[in-house]
Amino acid sequence: MPYLDHAATSPLCDEAREAMAPYLDERFGNASEPHRYGRAAREGLEQARETVSGLLGCRAAQVVFTSGGSEADNQAVFGLTGRPLGRLVVSAIEHAAVLAPARELERQGFDLAWAPVDGDGVVDVETFSATVRPLDRLAAVMWANNVTGAVQPVAELAAICGERGVPLHVDAVQAAASIAIDFAAIGAETMALSAHKMHGPKGVGALVARDPSRLRPLIWGGGQEGGLRSGTENVAGVVGFAAALAAMRTRGDRRRELRDRMEAALPDFPAVSRGVARLPGHSLLLVPGIRADVLVLALDRAGYAVAAGSACASGDSEPSHVLVAQGMSDGDARSVIRVSIGVDSTEPEVDGFCEALRACVEQQRAGALL
Amino acid sequence: MYSDAVTRHALDLSRAGSAGDAAFHGEAGDLGCGDQLRIELAVEDAHIVRARHRSFACPHATAAAALCCRLVEGAGLLDAARVGASRLDQELQPASHNRECVALAADALHAAIARALGSGTLPAAESRVAVAMSGGVDSAVALLKAVEAGLDPVGVTLRLWIDPAAPDSERACCSPQSVRAARSACHAAGVPHVTLDLRRRFRSQIVDSFVRDHAAGQTPNPCVRCNGSFRFDALAEFADRIGADRIATGHYARVVERDGQRLIARGADPDKDQSYMLARVPEQIVRRVWFPLGEQRKQLTREQARGAGLAAAERRESQEVCFVGGGDHRRFVERYGGAGRAGQIVAGDGRVLGEHDGVHRFTPGQRRGLGIGGGEALFVVSTDAASGTVVAGPRAALACTEIHVSPGRLQVPAARVHAKLRYRSPAMAASVRVEGDGFVLELDEPAYGVAPGQAAVLYDGDTVVGAGLIAG
Repeated sequence: MPYLDHAATSPLCDEAREAMAPYLDERFGNASEPHRYGRAAREGLEQARETVSGLLGCRAAQVVFTSGGSEADNQAVFGLTGRPLGRLVVSAIEHAAVLAPARELERQGFDLAWAPVDGDGVVDVETFSATVRPLDRLAAVMWANNVTGAVQPVAELAAICGERGVPLHVDAVQAAASIAIDFAAIGAETMALSAHKMHGPKGVGALVARDPSRLRPLIWGGGQEGGLRSGTENVAGVVGFAAALAAMRTRGDRRRELRDRMEAALPDFPAVSRGVARLPGHSLLLVPGIRADVLVLALDRAGYAVAAGSACASGDSEPSHVLVAQGMSDGDARSVIRVSIGVDSTEPEVDGFCEALRACVEQQRAGALL
Repeated sequence: MYSDAVTRHALDLSRAGSAGDAAFHGEAGDLGCGDQLRIELAVEDAHIVRARHRSFACPHATAAAALCCRLVEGAGLLDAARVGASRLDQELQPASHNRECVALAADALHAAIARALGSGTLPAAESRVAVAMSGGVDSAVALLKAVEAGLDPVGVTLRLWIDPAAPDSERACCSPQSVRAARSACHAAGVPHVTLDLRRRFRSQIVDSFVRDHAAGQTPNPCVRCNGSFRFDALAEFADRIGADRIATGHYARVVERDGQRLIARGADPDKDQSYMLARVPEQIVRRVWFPLGEQRKQLTREQARGAGLAAAERRESQEVCFVGGGDHRRFVERYGGAGRAGQIVAGDGRVLGEHDGVHRFTPGQRRGLGIGGGEALFVVSTDAASGTVVAGPRAALACTEIHVSPGRLQVPAARVHAKLRYRSPAMAASVRVEGDGFVLELDEPAYGVAPGQAAVLYDGDTVVGAGLIAG
């Protein structure tokens, strides 16, 4: 069944599976042990760190492996703040893994300032510049948004933060599957990544830090990852992460072409944020008057896996805060479906989806109230 | 996540659309709360021949709307009124936080059913009885007794206007919890339930006059007025529509026969007796009324509710004026434009004792709120809305033995009665004589704090033999 929900998660690629296999089998050792099993695991872990840091434009010592993007975001927000209380600047379109920690800090007494976005869902640089002040404890802006796919001007924002000595955390969980990342060139303080969005395994990610000594651990214990992330290392996962990241950089990529083809074929369902730079496989289609959460079920029955505006674990039907932040009405925000094309997606899949979408919408119109 | 049943019904478009121009519709939710849906019923001979739904709603609500239509199409209106959230939950198995979405569809269905029932009349059915359901324990046990008596009850809840600014106000887009509680109490007993949306009528007939009376310096009793000229009229009209002769409610009162008339009488529970509140229910309606709880005490009602496992068994009851919604009734009056004039507080001899900021805040006999300290305890003796003057005096100044009641009516001739001048005051021995469009009471002992606008209810023994409004 055609899978067009790569922004939610992506299937494990062959490269990652093959790289992981020995570490699920004979190289099962604990990387902290000095015997040959432990050394074999350690070797895989550090080789993966080299690969990842090489591909992300940072040094190996700057990579802290975590259990995924949410943990990396949490560690950045909590790890860069601490005490005394201060002020945070957070973009209005952050993922919950940044928003919820920021709100928790607000509850503890931090001041929380929001950096607004324009009608295309892009952080407004001027307002951001006017908002960030010296002595702010942290600013957080994601590299590319998980709902609209809109790419943010992170280098510009990092420069503004740099001028004022404010650390910038960048959530690159969505971006890393599509954009060649050069951490050093961007100038951010920290960056969060997740393997499963780029055909790696679930349960592994990384926090990249310009200066890891500024971080604090979330998880305390045996002192792994330079004391910043205790717990026996997920060596197979980390190896799969590195292999997937490497594979993504070498693979041919028709995502943008397929996405543009799809949008051209669906003029009745205009894509949100289509006027700005977006992730290449990402398209948020507005289907006025039709509930996205019902349409997703209909498309699933028709054989196509896509997401409603923002799929979230709680299953509530609150409109996405991202879309509300960029000025969309509550009704429209409940009428958008997110199509995220992957590197393995094909033309027939995309064409078939367009046809299925038109057919499902046509059927749903009969029961539409608006 | 969605159960298989939710997915299946949410995508069931076989009854999506409109049921035609002549169909009865019900809507629930709004875009503010995220979900909105509409159910339409085409009705022929009191049977639903076509049920259709349209929505802009989450899969749970959409599925529930589709399922409602599937369940009621082909059914009689009263059978359709047996379908509610519990039946839908049973089929759809929603997670607890999605029950609200499912209930929305039941709200829309019931709004449509109420419209359909309001447009025609069902054939008379001898054992059918309309049971007024409030969502509380008393009406739930009254229903139980109707079922146990082998009758064919139909529950009915009057949805009344509540101050949206009140502390307990409902969410505007959804049925209040009391309506849902009443509906589920009926459905748990397999009984049809109908909700009549009387918010607008209630507001204009009861709430507005409550505010007006306060502005005029009176102390109205909206419950007596509501029962006397609104609630029971609506129940009777509904009973007529569904072919029921009888009306049952959970009031603690009885109906007795005297000289060929059916009269309200005190309930057996002296602490809960509600005959005062029912004193102005018209005689032609009293003839049709049955109070299943009239012969018992509240304590027994609770025990019976517990024994039957009723959800309402432990529900707390409100004693306050319902539409004020738990708020302060003086503030309510002010918010709705009934604030009386500010003015002076004077003694009986005209001496100025102080000032106040609105006559609507005072009722004869009131001691608090005068803001005058020291000396002898002072009470409100009278208020004059036109000048804004509040007369205060010692308790003795409140003494009153002659009370004019107008309008008022003696249902059976009487000379010696016991008169109740407020709901929570004991009845007092009095002589009564008819005068003008009412009557005059001569109390054997003086009453203190008689308030114009309150109801005077006359008892002969336990029987209500007359009632009217205190004029002065």
